[in-house]
Amino acid sequence: MALSADGSRLRARNDNTSPRQARASATAQSFSLRDWMGPASWLLTIAVIVIVFSLLNPRFASVENLRNVLVQASVPLIIVVGTTLVILMGSIDLSVQGVMGAAGMAWILLVPNARGGTDLGAWAWPVALGVGLGLGLATGLIYTRFRVPSFVVTLGTWNVGLGIATMLYGDDLLPSLTSEALSQWPTRLTLGLPNGFWLSAAVVAAGVLLIGFTHLGRGILAIGNNEPMAVVNGIPVARIKVAAFGLAGLLYGLAGVLATMELGSGSPGVGAGQLFTVIPAAVIGGTALSGGQGGVLHSALGVLLLIVLNNGLVLAGVSPDYQSGVFGATLLLAIVVVAWPHRDRLRIAK
Amino acid sequence: MTPTIEPPVLRLTDITCSFGPVTAIRSVSLEIKRGEVVGLVGENGAGKSSLLKILSGIVTPDTGRMEINGAVCNFRGPKDAFRAGVGVVHQEQALFTNLTVAENIDQHRSDGGMMSRLGLQSWSRVNRDAQAALDKIGVKLNPRARIRDLSFVDRQMVEIARAVCIDPTVGGTPLIILDEPTAVLEREETAVLEREIRNLKAFASIIFVSHRLDEILRVCDRVVVMRSGQLILNKATAAVSKDELFHAMAGRDAQVVHRSNKRIATDATPALAVRDLCRKGHYRDVSFEAHPGQIVALVGSNRAGCGSLMRGLFGAEAFDSGQIAVGGRNVSGWSISRAVKAGLAYVPAERKVEGMVGGFSAARNIALVHPGQAAVGPFLSPARCDGMAQTWFDRLDVHPNAVSLALGSFSGGNQQKVVMAKWLNSPAMKVFLLDHPLRGLDPGAAQTVNAQIRQSCAAGAAVVLIPDTIEEALEMADTIIVMRDGEISARHDMAEAAALTVETILEAMV
Amino acid sequence: MSNAARQAAKAVDVPRPAARTPVATKLTPSAIWQSFGPVIVFAVVLLMVSVRNPAFLGGTGLSIVAESAAPILLVALGQAMVLNIGSIDLSNASISLLGAILLALALPGLGIGAPIAVLMAVTIFGAINGAIVAYAQVPSFALTLGTLGILDAATLVTSGSETIYVSQNQEIVTTLYQDRLLALPLTFWIGVGVAVLYWALLRFTRVGQGMTAMGKNEPGAIFSAIRTRWLKVLAFAISGFTGGLAGVSIVAQAGSASASGLGSDLLLPGIAAALVGGTAVSGGLTNPINVIFGALTVAFVPIAVQTIGITAQAQSLVYGVFIIAVVVMTTHRSRGAIVK
Repeated sequence: MALSADGSRLRARNDNTSPRQARASATAQSFSLRDWMGPASWLLTIAVIVIVFSLLNPRFASVENLRNVLVQASVPLIIVVGTTLVILMGSIDLSVQGVMGAAGMAWILLVPNARGGTDLGAWAWPVALGVGLGLGLATGLIYTRFRVPSFVVTLGTWNVGLGIATMLYGDDLLPSLTSEALSQWPTRLTLGLPNGFWLSAAVVAAGVLLIGFTHLGRGILAIGNNEPMAVVNGIPVARIKVAAFGLAGLLYGLAGVLATMELGSGSPGVGAGQLFTVIPAAVIGGTALSGGQGGVLHSALGVLLLIVLNNGLVLAGVSPDYQSGVFGATLLLAIVVVAWPHRDRLRIAK
Repeated sequence: MTPTIEPPVLRLTDITCSFGPVTAIRSVSLEIKRGEVVGLVGENGAGKSSLLKILSGIVTPDTGRMEINGAVCNFRGPKDAFRAGVGVVHQEQALFTNLTVAENIDQHRSDGGMMSRLGLQSWSRVNRDAQAALDKIGVKLNPRARIRDLSFVDRQMVEIARAVCIDPTVGGTPLIILDEPTAVLEREETAVLEREIRNLKAFASIIFVSHRLDEILRVCDRVVVMRSGQLILNKATAAVSKDELFHAMAGRDAQVVHRSNKRIATDATPALAVRDLCRKGHYRDVSFEAHPGQIVALVGSNRAGCGSLMRGLFGAEAFDSGQIAVGGRNVSGWSISRAVKAGLAYVPAERKVEGMVGGFSAARNIALVHPGQAAVGPFLSPARCDGMAQTWFDRLDVHPNAVSLALGSFSGGNQQKVVMAKWLNSPAMKVFLLDHPLRGLDPGAAQTVNAQIRQSCAAGAAVVLIPDTIEEALEMADTIIVMRDGEISARHDMAEAAALTVETILEAMV
Repeated sequence: MSNAARQAAKAVDVPRPAARTPVATKLTPSAIWQSFGPVIVFAVVLLMVSVRNPAFLGGTGLSIVAESAAPILLVALGQAMVLNIGSIDLSNASISLLGAILLALALPGLGIGAPIAVLMAVTIFGAINGAIVAYAQVPSFALTLGTLGILDAATLVTSGSETIYVSQNQEIVTTLYQDRLLALPLTFWIGVGVAVLYWALLRFTRVGQGMTAMGKNEPGAIFSAIRTRWLKVLAFAISGFTGGLAGVSIVAQAGSASASGLGSDLLLPGIAAALVGGTAVSGGLTNPINVIFGALTVAFVPIAVQTIGITAQAQSLVYGVFIIAVVVMTTHRSRGAIVK
């Protein structure tokens, strides 16, 4: 019987290090990126960026601009909570822009808009969120039932969402919001801060609690750390995966509605560019694409960093055309820095 | 309370278990009393691991009965085993490194509390229970600490704590299985662990697996020896000698080796020479030579570093210091492609993953490294690939005789023949590195593969072999190098050591 | 513990003896799909459209499909070569758009040298992608998502967010679109030629064999001394080069290039065409010849959708469903394997 083969197979799945290797790297780990790039140092980095940009353009540090930053950050903050739930399991979700489009469009067509049509009032919310949740659950079910890689399924959901949004949009009049109360809600201030930011802060707080204090959250972390062991330990892996994708879809739906409010009119492309904000943000925040590491707060700080950076660049006179380039370069740099110490002759990166 | 006769913590009756045609466990019966420490020893492949897998619920035995604390158990998974109070401390630790100590300890407990039913994690309960478990085994660890921040011994303590933390609904004495827990520990840590084991006796029974006999004799109350899936010996430690144990593990009396036509060519340039090769945490100061036409066997237990050394020789893993010379020439910047260019071949133990491309046809697999006549410069001819493969199929008697069938659908033995053919297709092979070449092979295929190995030797190649069993080494090798904990512990030149026995080699291994 | 979990537990720990290895018969559904699927799907779509609209076959219908299929086919061929080694290139459609803009900018000045210079540049972009994947060992989807962002910014910046009309030397590339062979534009025939070339590369060369081996089982390829890193660089360079050809075909068709104009949305159709063409996302399985039919089918979707009576806006939904359906149908699922 092949005894040592078992050992090495288990080892291969368990953090890819043999105990001896782990021991050898134990000392090195205390100086690892993970530790000194904790939340505190991220706040420090953000502070440095704020100082540099304030020197470049005094308007940067104005209360008005900081409120502006918080408004800009509110949509990606909501999204990143959902994306983080998925990334923590070691999966990936690329569907955000499509789901946002579908949910946002569903919402605006059901509240008072230029086209008239049905007005469900407050009921438009559950319908829009339901669209997001439905798309997310469908993604999760296809992913777990048919065991296909999550990046392909979500690439598909992305387009399905966009298709739904485009079809709802049709060839009619631009559906713009006719209710001022709704279109101004995200930027209106409550206790000195914009409503949109309060909403996203609540979502982030809920995300932190979910990961820290529920079986679902702890299960997500366990799956990301070692999925075969999670299966063996009787953790309901498939159910957790579906739930995580469903919650992510729900949050993308919420983000789609908020973004539509800010835009003031319906557009299938309401989520354009968000994928490029949230995935780099999660990675530089310390949420590893391999799963199990980082968390909602990490990712949220990553979002704030990127938004502040972007806002500063715009105020410093850099064309907004460069935005996706800056975010892309950040993502590239972040994943290379994370992967570099782990390079090995026999390591497989697909 | 009347003192009734307490049932044994573990009672196995006639347990048999087989995987396909291989019988791993043959009617094993064993009893372990409360507070007893039982040492389990045996050669690689003796059935220890299979027995542990049955106890930990990973494998279901075909026949036989297992009772724990008097209750008959039919584990349907590791979780059941944990609930019943069987805790396994794996050599490769089974902990979620990103979760806390308390959560890992709590992993297998059922919790019917209000918060749990709402899907909420009750941290106060989890931490309290974990603290109780840690206190029980007398370990000072913070239940809120993350596993990845802990040292290795501490991680093992967490596993032990998890094992003693039996579900209160089941109760009884826990059975803790320590699977080679000392293999990765330093000397002082080993001492700590041994002390812990003695403490554990107060409330648990222990099965202790180790390849170090001294340790077994120091720690255990009783020793059980397994060989070929059977229980060979079961005696109190006080009543057994080391020699007796070797004897039981080896199986035969002073088996004399019959080996003809030994090829000794010490004056010629060695095909492969290794000097002071070191890799931290795997092997150190390894030196040996393999001459053309010679078979060198590396023998050691699973953790002795043989496999790692083999990968180092093939350039698959880097080494820290030392020198490798092929054909008398020192190598530098060693990598797999340089090794192959220099005339090395490697047959890995993990055949399906590393040895072949299962989705490719057998013919394509053979043409993968040395396409030989199938290639003209960078170009390949599929027709000539098939023709070339057909020659090998005929020579090695591969079944089914279909060169264009995906290699993954062949049986293990036939796959191994194709893997051998892949390397043999080069006429200029100098050194064969064979890691468990006969693993999972039926006797017929094993014979064909062995014949090929000998034939390549006769043609002037050197062979470095990690055999499945010591008998295989005695049968095949000209030189046997025994490794223990990453170091060479004995060398035997078969030309001189006419009376070498399995026992002698075992003594250097454990 | 559920049955599935139990099987997974076995798969983790139990050495499975050789005798239990499932014997793959030659005619698995995915094998049938791989050989005939793309052609059949194309034929079915064609038939469906022809029944509803008989004039389609007789008229210029097919050449319209081939015209819009050309850039999709070229992008898909590059994607297929990358999928074949087990990676994915999310940036290759952006490479082709940047290539188109660079070409439109360079044509007046460089003339015939412009396409050559652009193709060299995009090949290098692709090779850089491959080098980072191979040497920094990062997942390709994340890396190429990053380069996608960078390339999109580069596209906006180089074009100044405007449409670049080719003022001089336009005919150098537009002939590729205007000249016809069997009523189909040369750009499409370039795609066919490239497909045949890649098919031959995979089938008749050691490099191609190494790429497929790596896609099927990377550790196995590494231990067979296949230089997997170099092959990764090569595969991504091929993807960049073929993307560049797609850029040329865009300029040939439009006579101009812009960040939001023709060819700005090729990523998804490209992946869909590769998958419908029988390429497996898990790697090691592609037939560039079949990708031709995949691209034709995907180019057919907008027309077919309208013929059946659904609005053209459903196009992206159909692509999305196509991708999911094809992957669900063709993914090889081994029990107990972990899918992320």
